[in-house]
Amino acid sequence: MLTIGKLAREAGVTPDTVRYYEKEGLLAPARKTDAGYRLYDEDAARRLRFIRQAQQCGFSLAEIGELLMLKRSDAACCKDVRGVAVSKKLQLEHKIRALQAMSGALSELIAICNDGARPLDECPILAALENSMAGQMEGARNG
Amino acid sequence: MVKVEVFSSPGCGKCAQAKAMLKTVAEALGSDKVTWREVNILEEMDYAVDLGIMSSPAIAIDGELVFTSLPSAYKLRVELLRRL
Repeated sequence: MLTIGKLAREAGVTPDTVRYYEKEGLLAPARKTDAGYRLYDEDAARRLRFIRQAQQCGFSLAEIGELLMLKRSDAACCKDVRGVAVSKKLQLEHKIRALQAMSGALSELIAICNDGARPLDECPILAALENSMAGQMEGARNG
Repeated sequence: MVKVEVFSSPGCGKCAQAKAMLKTVAEALGSDKVTWREVNILEEMDYAVDLGIMSSPAIAIDGELVFTSLPSAYKLRVELLRRL
């Protein structure tokens, strides 16, 4: 049996993170000591590694909950998990596009700032950001 | 000519049956009026992202995302008739 500190250390997280996962219903101690300390078994350690790995793949805690439920369900099969993974990949591809667009916009701003010695109030990057914000607010007013 | 594209991932059992039923609806309107294409979302991920598809299965009509899940036969028929 592992204490919360040992379990957390093995997974590279803090005890607070373990408590948070418990609050979200993703993890539970196998039992508690008479003094009320949580004790975890190897199954909980495996579950915690699963949660961390899934988070690194971009899954939210709600989605991880869904995956864990599928994992336990007799009615579910690999196809169901695959479906969740395909949806996640689609979301990631959308995010990548958005990040690429942001990166492109930053490249344009960096390109117009060709004189790093200018004073701050002449900084074309800050001016462009301000103008785009003013444009957005104008658009919101007219829209 | 209305172009229907059904995006799903291969091996999706529950999709297969529903897709077959929807295909019948589309084909009943005439192959000269409606084209039906089944798209493997994993092979055409870029295209799916272009169309704004966030989950599978989904249906695009004339290059526009119309159904974010498989619709009923009735809903598909109404949508296709509207476009013909």
